[in-house]
Amino acid sequence: MSVDFTDFEEFFSFGDDTSPLMMLVWILPIIFFVFYGQQIQLYISANQVKKHVTKLKIYRDESESELMDYISKNVKTASDPSSRIRTIIDYFSIMPVDMDPAGMVPKVRHLVRSRDDHTRAQIRELDPSLDELAQSKIQTLVEIASSLHLVYRIVNHLYLTAKKQKNFPMILPLQMILPFIMEEAKALRDAAPVFKLGQPVGDGIGPMIVGRMMLNLEKKEAAFQTVWARTEMDGRRIHLLKARGPLSSVGRPGDAVEHVISQDKVDAVIMIDAAMRMEGEESATISRGFGAAIGGIGTERFQIEEAATKHGIPIYAIVVKQTVGEAITLMTKDVALRADDVSHQVREMIREAAPEGGSVLVVGVGNALGVPQ
Amino acid sequence: MFKKPKVTTAYTVSRCGSCSRETRAKFAPGDCLFAESAQCPCGGVVTIEMIYGETAK
Repeated sequence: MSVDFTDFEEFFSFGDDTSPLMMLVWILPIIFFVFYGQQIQLYISANQVKKHVTKLKIYRDESESELMDYISKNVKTASDPSSRIRTIIDYFSIMPVDMDPAGMVPKVRHLVRSRDDHTRAQIRELDPSLDELAQSKIQTLVEIASSLHLVYRIVNHLYLTAKKQKNFPMILPLQMILPFIMEEAKALRDAAPVFKLGQPVGDGIGPMIVGRMMLNLEKKEAAFQTVWARTEMDGRRIHLLKARGPLSSVGRPGDAVEHVISQDKVDAVIMIDAAMRMEGEESATISRGFGAAIGGIGTERFQIEEAATKHGIPIYAIVVKQTVGEAITLMTKDVALRADDVSHQVREMIREAAPEGGSVLVVGVGNALGVPQ
Repeated sequence: MFKKPKVTTAYTVSRCGSCSRETRAKFAPGDCLFAESAQCPCGGVVTIEMIYGETAK
């Protein structure tokens, strides 16, 4: 029997002249894929997910060893602190009930701050002689290890559950979201050595601009780990706010903005921050807009928006676009070179936002690691 | 198939306050933005202006 593959009409025909062997060649795979297609797909998808789960485990272990390495070199303790550190890494947070959303933000803020304060106290207890900079670095390294630990646990749980239950639809959303998770996980893994060395990160561009403006000015503490300085520019009173560098901290800009607004009549708030760059956009491009430019869980933004709305103060934003990786790892050359341009634009915004004799609050949002004032 | 790992090198850029002479050196632990790093041959004070990373392509 010979089949002419170039004769498509004969090859695809289902007429009386179709040979039984050809029928089997067509029908058997169809039957096979009807019954086992999903399992094959599950097997292929699960294998791809497993590769990512393995990578996540490596990232988690690497971030933990970076943390332990920093602690062993900088913390003087009589006993081995590793078991205590592992307990801190394993801390979890139970978000408040949101069935009645009224009053949720203060509850979330309270929860987040309680966790931060407690972790800080635990780290201080390890070695009370440790300076604030080293403490803040350890706290950030703990947060990195904790985040990677949580991500690994969740992804691993979903992968194992889908595999155990042979649940193909369950693995699909995981497979879709994994590239984004991996990008963030890789950024976190790469961030650990930068935080250990105390180098400025991409997110520090806001504090860098404001820190430069604060040089040689008298500084006060406006809120926890947040500094405030006053100056004059082009006939306007300028209030400057940023997290206290060179600590690895974002400060408490919400509390600080509230405090400054309660002390002086402010005509405008200008916020400088790093913002997420979209695909197709260039890194380190500067963009201006309106509204509170601040990331995080949302509690600080809520507080700033509340204070500004209560006093009828417009909020202007100036952002330097970056990827997640660029924002939390060592500042790139392109971003650093933009500092002068951003400073120039901030000055322009100050002139536009307030009349002569007016007052403007400039907030440098971001982690102030390696960025003093 | 095997991607070369990207290597990022950290640099510290310092500038003289008087003659604006700029110098770039590899980052050393302890380098901090706006800190006085050295004295310029012109006698001016050199401060750290930027710390950034460059990735070899």
